[in-house]
Amino acid sequence: MKGSFLQRLVAGVRSRLAPAARNRAGARRRERPTANESQVVRYATSPLLAAKTPPLRSRLLVLGLGLGFCVLAGRALYVQVINPAFFQKEGEIRYGHTFALQASRGRIVDRNGQILAASVPAPSVFAVPREAKVSPEQQRELAKLLGLPANDLARRLSGKSCFVWLRRQVDEVVAAQVKALGAKGVYVQREFRRQYPEGESAAHVVGFTNIEERGLEGVELAFQKDLQGRSGSRSVVRDRLGRVVEDVGEMVDAEDGRDIALAIDSKVQFYAYQRVRDAVVEHRAKSGSVVVLDTQTGEVLALANYPSYVPGERASMSGPQLRNRAVTDTFEPGSTMKPFIAALALQTGRVRPDTVIQTAPGRISITGSTIHDAHPHGALSVEQVIQKSSNVGTVKMAMQMQPREMWETFSAVGFGQKPALPFPGMASGRLRPYKSWRPIEQATMSYGYGLSTSLFQLARAYTVFARDGDVAPMTLLRAEHAAGGAPVFSPEVARSVRKMLQMAAGEGGTAPKAQAIGYSVGGKTGTAHKQEGGGYAGNKYRAWFVGIAPISAPRVVVAVMVDEPSNGRYFGGDVAAPVFSSVVQRSLQILGVPPDMPVQPQIVARAQAAPAEQESF
Amino acid sequence: MTRLNLLLLVVLVCSAIYLVQTSYESRRLYAALERERNAAHQLDVEAEGLDVARRAHATSLRVERVAREELRMRAATPAVTEYVTDPARTAAAAQGGRP
Repeated sequence: MKGSFLQRLVAGVRSRLAPAARNRAGARRRERPTANESQVVRYATSPLLAAKTPPLRSRLLVLGLGLGFCVLAGRALYVQVINPAFFQKEGEIRYGHTFALQASRGRIVDRNGQILAASVPAPSVFAVPREAKVSPEQQRELAKLLGLPANDLARRLSGKSCFVWLRRQVDEVVAAQVKALGAKGVYVQREFRRQYPEGESAAHVVGFTNIEERGLEGVELAFQKDLQGRSGSRSVVRDRLGRVVEDVGEMVDAEDGRDIALAIDSKVQFYAYQRVRDAVVEHRAKSGSVVVLDTQTGEVLALANYPSYVPGERASMSGPQLRNRAVTDTFEPGSTMKPFIAALALQTGRVRPDTVIQTAPGRISITGSTIHDAHPHGALSVEQVIQKSSNVGTVKMAMQMQPREMWETFSAVGFGQKPALPFPGMASGRLRPYKSWRPIEQATMSYGYGLSTSLFQLARAYTVFARDGDVAPMTLLRAEHAAGGAPVFSPEVARSVRKMLQMAAGEGGTAPKAQAIGYSVGGKTGTAHKQEGGGYAGNKYRAWFVGIAPISAPRVVVAVMVDEPSNGRYFGGDVAAPVFSSVVQRSLQILGVPPDMPVQPQIVARAQAAPAEQESF
Repeated sequence: MTRLNLLLLVVLVCSAIYLVQTSYESRRLYAALERERNAAHQLDVEAEGLDVARRAHATSLRVERVAREELRMRAATPAVTEYVTDPARTAAAAQGGRP
C-alpha cells in the first residue's frame, strides 16, 4: 500500500519535472544569444507550483508531523517524568563520583606520650596489564626501583588481568620516582603502614597489624575497634578535567581512630627488655620474661619477653618469638607461694611472725610421701621459714589450715583466674577446686606445686603484699587514679610479710643478689625442674624471682623469669635476682622515687672550691 | 510595551551572563579549596611520618648507645645522685632526700 503510494508519487513528480527540465535546458542554451529572452521564463507560473496539492496528501503530512511531535513529546515525558532514573544514573556516572574517606588508624603511645606505634604513608604500586605500555628501558628502571627481578616484573605486566600489585608499601621517594617514570598502565595508590619506633622491646605489648592495617596481636588487636576509626564517604561532581567542583548529597566525615595511651613506660620497658635479653644470653637460656607493675595504680609499666621480634618486619615473625610468654605460659610457682601461706597463717591468728616452728630433721611425711628441705635448718621462726624458704616449715603451717581457706586465698589473689588484661591468649593458670585436694596435694600446693600460674599472675598476686593487703586491679591503659581492690589480708599482715620478703632478699636469704643500691627490696626466688610430659625433667630448670621495692613504701612489683638457664647456674637467686635488682633500680629512678636506704655517696665535693661547684662528679 | 519587553530582555540576558559567571567562579573556588584541603591532609600525614621518624631517632636504645659509646657516659646510680626536695612538700618526703 505504502510502496505503491510512493511509486505513484515519484512517477507524478518525474512527469512534471521533465518539461521543466527541458525548459531550463532550453533557456540556458538560449541565454547566450539574447539576454531578453531569459526574462520570458515564468517561474511564478511554473506548472509544478500551479498544481494543486491533493487535500489527502496535505492532511497526511500534517498527521505525520503531528504524530512525530506526539512521539517526541511522549519520549520526553517518559525520559523526564516516568522513568528518569536511567539517564540520571548515566549522568552521575559521567560527572558524579563517590569516594570513601579513609580514617587514619590511631597511634599507640606510652604513658609519657612517646609513640609506640603509628601509621606512616607507604604508597603501593600496581599495574593494569591490559592497558600497560611499558618500554623495555622503563621496565628495567621499574624493576630496579621496586627491587623486583626483571622477568618477574615482565610476567606480571604481560597478563591480561585488570589488576596486579607490583610492589606494596614502598617508600614515598620510590613512589615519586615511579610516577615520574610515566609508564602507561602503572599506578601508585596511597596506603599506610604501621611503624614501631620501639621495635622489639615493646613488641609483645604493642603487637602488630597485617598489611591492611588490621590488628593481629597485642594492643593492636585488643583495641582494634578504637584504633581503626570509621571511614566516611563523600559524593562530588567533577568537571571534565577531573577537578572536584561541587559536593552533592551528604558528606559523611571519616572518624579517625582513637589514640591509645598505654600505662607502659617506654624507658622502663626498654630497660627491662634489655636486661632480660642479656640474662638469657648470658645463661644460654631458652627464653626470659619480665613484668613491672605499679603497685599504687595497678598499671603495667613494662612487660617484656625474649626472644622477641621486630613488629614492622613480617619476615622476623615465627611461632616461638611471637609468644607473649609472661601472660601465656604457665608454670608451677614453687617457693614464691610460701609467703601467701605465711600471710594466711598470720591473718587467721594461727602464728605470729616470731612463732617458732621446728623444721628438723628437714623432712616431713604426709600420708606416706616425704617432703624434704634442701638442707635441714632446725627450729625456725615464721620469718626465717620464709627467709630460708623451708618446705617443711611451710607445710607445717599449711597443714593446720582447711583446704577451703587456702583455695579462697589463692583465688582472691588471682591464681586460677584469667587476668583482666585485653591480651589475646591470656592463660588463667590452674587451681583445682579444694574439694578434690588430697592432704599431700594440699601440702605440695603450700610450697607451689600442683598449681600453675603465669608470670603476670604471680606479679599481680604480689601486689597484695605491696599494697597493705589488697590486690590492685591491673590495667594496661594509663590510669589516673590509684585503684582500690578487695582486701585479702590486713595491713599489719602485709607489713610483716614484706619484712620477711626483705629478709629473704637480704643477707642469709636465698637471693642476696636481688639487692639494689639505695632501695630496700624484698622478694622471693623460685627454681624448679621443668615439667615435661608427666614428670619433671632432670636437667632442665626454670628460675624466677618476684619482688617488691622499696619495702618502706612499695612502688613497684617486678617479676623475672628465665627459662632453661643452661650455663651452669640455674637458681632463681643467681639467674633472675640480678635482673630484678637492676630493673628495680632503674625503674624507681625513672619513676623519680627517692632512695630509702643510705648509700655511700660517691659524689666528690671539692672543699676548697666554691660551694656552687659542689655537685661536680 | 515593546520598550519594556526590550528592557526585560536586556536584564534577562545580563542576569544569565552573571549567573554563568558566578557559577563558574564558584566551581573554580571550590576546586581551589579542594586542592588546599588535599594539601593540608598531605601535610598532616607528612607531619605524622616525621613525628615517627623523630621518635625512631630518639628511642631509648639509640640514646643509650650514643650516650655510652660516643659520649662516654655512665648510668646514674643513687650513689652519685644528689636528691633535692621540693620545700613545698611535706616533711615526710624530705626524709628521702639524702645525697
